[in-house]
Amino acid sequence: MTEQSASGAGAVLVVGGGISGLTAALEAAEVGRDVFLIEKNPYLGGRVAQLNQYFPKLCPPSCGLEINFKRLKSNRRIRMYTMTQVKSVSGSVGSYEVTCETLPRYVNNNCTGCGACVEACADERVDDFNFGLGNTKAVYRPHEMSFPMKYVLDKSACSRDTLQKIKDACKYDAVDLDMEAKTFTVNVGSIIWATGWNPYDPTKMTNLKYGQSNAIITNMQMERLAAPNGPTNGQILRPGDNVEPKSFAFVQCAGSRDENHLEFCSYICCMASMKQITYIRERYPEAPIYVFYIDLRTPGKYEKFREKLMADKNTHFIKGKVADIIPEADGVTLVAENAVTGDKVQQKVDLCILATGMEPAIKSQASALGLDVDSNGYVVSNADKGMISAGCAKKAADVVTSAQSATAAALKAIQAAK
Amino acid sequence: MKVNPDLDFIKYMKSAGGDTLKKCYQCATCSVVCPLSSDKKPFPRKEMIWAQWGLKDKLVANPDVFLCHQCGDCTAFCPRGAKPGDVLGAIRAYAYTHYGFPSGLAKMVGSSKNLPLTIGMPALIVLIMWALSGGMHILSSEDLARYGFGHFFGHWDWRWLTKNVAFIDIIMVPAFFLACYSAYRGVSTMWKDMEKNYDVNADYRPSVPQFIQQFLVPSVKEILTHKRFNECGTNKNRVVGHLPLLLSFIALFIVTAYSAFTQDVLGIFYPQLHGPISMLNPVKMLANVAALALIFGVGVLWSNRSASESEAGATATYYDWFLIYEIMAVGVTGLCAELGRLVGVPVLAYFFYYIHLVAVLMLFLYMPYTKFAHMIYRTFAMAFQIYRESDYVKK
Repeated sequence: MTEQSASGAGAVLVVGGGISGLTAALEAAEVGRDVFLIEKNPYLGGRVAQLNQYFPKLCPPSCGLEINFKRLKSNRRIRMYTMTQVKSVSGSVGSYEVTCETLPRYVNNNCTGCGACVEACADERVDDFNFGLGNTKAVYRPHEMSFPMKYVLDKSACSRDTLQKIKDACKYDAVDLDMEAKTFTVNVGSIIWATGWNPYDPTKMTNLKYGQSNAIITNMQMERLAAPNGPTNGQILRPGDNVEPKSFAFVQCAGSRDENHLEFCSYICCMASMKQITYIRERYPEAPIYVFYIDLRTPGKYEKFREKLMADKNTHFIKGKVADIIPEADGVTLVAENAVTGDKVQQKVDLCILATGMEPAIKSQASALGLDVDSNGYVVSNADKGMISAGCAKKAADVVTSAQSATAAALKAIQAAK
Repeated sequence: MKVNPDLDFIKYMKSAGGDTLKKCYQCATCSVVCPLSSDKKPFPRKEMIWAQWGLKDKLVANPDVFLCHQCGDCTAFCPRGAKPGDVLGAIRAYAYTHYGFPSGLAKMVGSSKNLPLTIGMPALIVLIMWALSGGMHILSSEDLARYGFGHFFGHWDWRWLTKNVAFIDIIMVPAFFLACYSAYRGVSTMWKDMEKNYDVNADYRPSVPQFIQQFLVPSVKEILTHKRFNECGTNKNRVVGHLPLLLSFIALFIVTAYSAFTQDVLGIFYPQLHGPISMLNPVKMLANVAALALIFGVGVLWSNRSASESEAGATATYYDWFLIYEIMAVGVTGLCAELGRLVGVPVLAYFFYYIHLVAVLMLFLYMPYTKFAHMIYRTFAMAFQIYRESDYVKK
């Protein structure tokens, strides 16, 4: 099915509904532009929604996201499409024609979020919002504050019988099993790419043995473990056996600053680990924590944050990258060379956190869409072409920098799309 | 620590395949992934920073530099492309020149600029000796079949020493003793430097038999089994080349010793022992098998090296290739000379025999300065490794 969405001159397309895309869309709409906001996931909020707390003030994600959702709801100039991706782009600055595809949600706007379908559903799917730390029912709400507030059905995870039961359970006739992928085109003057990032696949670092021990998790999984709406309701427990870890280790630069993986510094991982040390300290005040690093990069005002944490006598900072992790019956042993003493360190811990970096999410598609990318896959803005990048599609950045770059991108997009 | 960087050393490192050295940012991945590194003071992270700072005295007095077998695991896992394996190879090349005696000769052999001289000098020595000997004329096929290369340097009727052996001895024996002296001097200087560097103040020193029995023999045993090569991850397949090569050298040493004894000692009393050894003689068979093993072994190393340069990005260096070419030259010219003799083409036989003599002279004479020196320096570095952990040092 194809339909045409026309708009006024100088409309802006924002690709990606994370904190950067939301900010850019709102900034452009609030000065009077028509904005199309498309998002690949069934919900807005992106990576920030998955965090327990975020910089610089350690706010919960609801803090920044809810106010943006409210601005979004009250702004009639923004048209929002979830489960939608760009298929192709044609035209030039001022008159781009962008073909988008919306995947079927199998739940229509009649959904009230009552949850009756969930009770009727017997089948499960891997919980990707929680990075695989558990399952959800095949009909689910991505997370408890997901916006738009509608359920999603993973049809491929359901038996025919389950599908019928889900449909029957909905008294609002919101479950539409015949829904199909929908293609549509939008005409816009410029495009803001706020496609964000994916955590770098930790299985690619073969020496770090991710997936071979339940005591090895990623920093994003740690966010979910610490989040009150996460799989453990905010308790930090070792996945699999739900044991309370007595010792922790952070493996910095797990894939970043490594020409075999991500050649660049992912910028946030040092601070993310520092932040996660505070999560651990809240729950385990005395537990020994070991941080293995090459350099600690806590720029600007984050230096104070680092100094405070380094004063903790049970938190040990070891200069030396972990280059081998040995899975044990209970926990893991990390092997590194302490570059200050020159001796090899073998540290056994109950839970180790890989500080994996940011891989630009658009990487493989960028060239097909006619975007300029740098050697690391980040989108390079081209104001003359009306192609502007924002947030972590532009470079590895924290939330505050992303929001700044999104506002700047909105201005550039408005100027380009006259 | 007071640091006196040596710019010339850093420049040398860059020229000898260690040009990636400055990329290292000291993350220490290499020291952990190295399968040969110990838990206490592992390598090669510390060597990388010493090399960056130009601390050459610390490097050449450090057994770890020689214990490295260039497995390539460090280079494969290096996040910066700093190629620690190649850098340590360059440090070894530097060390052989550093310890080489006479230093002029060591420096000449160590630099690709001097290649014409490096080949030309031994070629000229053998040529002059050949001319002086009066043997420089091509034999008839019958004489070649009867005497083999026994009349290469002519013939006299003095029964105690044949003319040929006399000339070969004049060429090879001084070269051999110079190489031995140079190696001895280099190794003993290295040993003293290592003791100083590791602050070894032993109250009791091992006697020579104790040293051989407790430190040297275990090291040689380990070398013969290729234990460390087998621990390598990335470049593991080198054992297939290096082991036959090592064994062929041992076999050829035995053959040479046998030949010298039968021809030059027993030959005095039984003149019929002079001339080519029968192809059916077990020692000759061993020689031929060893020659083929030598060519096979160095061929495997040749192709491995080419592959690791084109695929894994190892740096091509004069230091590595000189030895490969040299050993290949020894093997191929030896075999060609033998074939020329068996087929009965004196011109070819003598031509290849001449080149063979030059190649063998180069192998002997340049041993302490080329990559070939690893057989001495690495063996003693392994002995030092055992020594520093032994009760002589530890209290």
